[in-house]
Amino acid sequence: MNLVYNEQVKLYARKSTWIMFVILAVIILGIAILGKTVGDLGNEEYGEDWRQQLEQENAELTEGMDEEQIAYDQVVKENNYYLENDIKPQNYDVWQSVIDNSMLSALLSLFTIIVAAGIVAHEFRWGTIKLLLIRPVSRTKILFSKYVSVLLFALTSLVFLLLFSWLTGAVFFGVNGINPTLVLNSGDGFVQVSALHEITRSYGFSLVNLVMMSALAFMISSIFRNSGLAIGFAIFLMMAGSSIMGFFLQYDWAKFILFANTNLDQYYRGTPLIEGMTLPFSVMVLLVYYLVFLVLSWVFFTKRDVAGH
Amino acid sequence: MTAESAMQLIDVKKNIGSKQIIKGLNFDIYPGEVFGFLGPNGAGKTTTIRMMVGLMKLTEGDVLIEGKSIKTEYKEAIRRVGAIVENPEMYPFMTGWKNLQHYARMMPAVTEERIKEVVTLVGLDKAINEKVGRYSLGMRQRLGIAQALLHNPSILILDEPTNGLDPSGIREIRRYIRNLAEKENVAVIVSSHLLSEIELMCDRIGIIKNGELIAIETVQEALNKTDVKDIHIEAVPLETGRNIVQEKLQINAAIEKEELVLSAKREEIPSIIKSLVDGQVEIFGVQVKRSTLEDKFLDLIGENTIE
Repeated sequence: MNLVYNEQVKLYARKSTWIMFVILAVIILGIAILGKTVGDLGNEEYGEDWRQQLEQENAELTEGMDEEQIAYDQVVKENNYYLENDIKPQNYDVWQSVIDNSMLSALLSLFTIIVAAGIVAHEFRWGTIKLLLIRPVSRTKILFSKYVSVLLFALTSLVFLLLFSWLTGAVFFGVNGINPTLVLNSGDGFVQVSALHEITRSYGFSLVNLVMMSALAFMISSIFRNSGLAIGFAIFLMMAGSSIMGFFLQYDWAKFILFANTNLDQYYRGTPLIEGMTLPFSVMVLLVYYLVFLVLSWVFFTKRDVAGH
Repeated sequence: MTAESAMQLIDVKKNIGSKQIIKGLNFDIYPGEVFGFLGPNGAGKTTTIRMMVGLMKLTEGDVLIEGKSIKTEYKEAIRRVGAIVENPEMYPFMTGWKNLQHYARMMPAVTEERIKEVVTLVGLDKAINEKVGRYSLGMRQRLGIAQALLHNPSILILDEPTNGLDPSGIREIRRYIRNLAEKENVAVIVSSHLLSEIELMCDRIGIIKNGELIAIETVQEALNKTDVKDIHIEAVPLETGRNIVQEKLQINAAIEKEELVLSAKREEIPSIIKSLVDGQVEIFGVQVKRSTLEDKFLDLIGENTIE
């Protein structure tokens, strides 16, 4: 696929693409340094006497609290879970830091949106679209190669995020085994999960949002041929998605809104946003939106004239 | 010209909204000729060129490139075409070389050697590894031509190719456009609103105005056809000369800068000279000024009205 290669060359020939990776790296490092120095992450060491340590922690925490407060305190709850199930708490380590960094996938979505928004619109802005389209290659193939290129970028930056988080985490917090078991708060109580499972889950679900939003940005980019508009609109929707949902929640058709369905995590932890929604339903809705985005991009890109500016 | 046409426009029409901006163009371009596509700004030159290369759809009619329709056999048709549409826009953040590689990858069988060859042809060897963002307009114009020549096209379409070039650059470009046509038998289509330019490098010109082709002829024809010419006669005494011409021959004459200036047909020139000599007027020189293409052009298009 020469076309995809071309797109990647163009993408990485630009400084702004590298700046995205630098920003990502700096933030990961920053979080690790902050966590190590300012916060107490990784400072608590649980030894042989971890039961006493936990009891003591609880005692310190609950001092001066009344019954109700104690019932709601997450740390106390977590400590009790360890004691009840007789599990030695893990020290904060690389696995937990990687999981914590999954929140950075929002940043990844942002970068992917920027790339998706620019990849078609920039060709129009630079005027290079004219030279690009007068080749013996169909417009469909060119558009497809651009979309594949966006996904490749998302994948590359995801791998970068994971690897760099892991390396930073390993350096700053150490490694507790290959795939340790972690105790995490799922909506209705604490559960034990393996670290790899948790990483896959938290990153995997955030990818749904990333793919949907970048498809949206890609569509706006090829319809309006304006990257600013595409970036602005997609980011606005990404940020405002939940507030928009809050506004429409009262209506029956709210469950068909894209943002009601992007968070698939709702079926694993806690309860669905709207009663009656199921995982297959959400997946269907997402697929329909996704196809609409891509088909619209395709129709506008292949059918419309390339006129002057 | 009886050769198989390289490009054929058959009743090409284009509507934008309810307005018809190209109103049925019909013409052929043959291998080995430089065809000048001439017209004032806004006449539809660029729109026509965009339709020739498939950037815009035709509302009606068809464009055949070596017999292949741009509408139904797009890939086969466009494979034979190299083009610059409007400005030669390249990726400013990449070097000239990378830009060429980029386009080369989109076409079948363009080798590294071919890229080098083309770079040398347009004289960009020194600057090819610099970023295009640092190129002057003239350098970008050359890179644009290089890009259009990569795949050895049999039809080369250049939209305003000398835009932004200095006089020596213009001459150079003119030279290898002629070269391509004569030696490689490429059909070259050059659009321009500069008449002098077309006059110098084209074999035939098509003049377009308000979306209609109003004339198509060879450059030589265009220059010879106008039969009334300006004649400048260096004569002494001027007054007598003027009187003779006006009274005997009924031709209006004026005195300008020590010369007798009059308009007459070619076949009248000998009798004018004879009358002057007979009237004891000494003649030191006679100059027949061909009316330039520019006059011809302005005659044809009249005033450029944008509808």
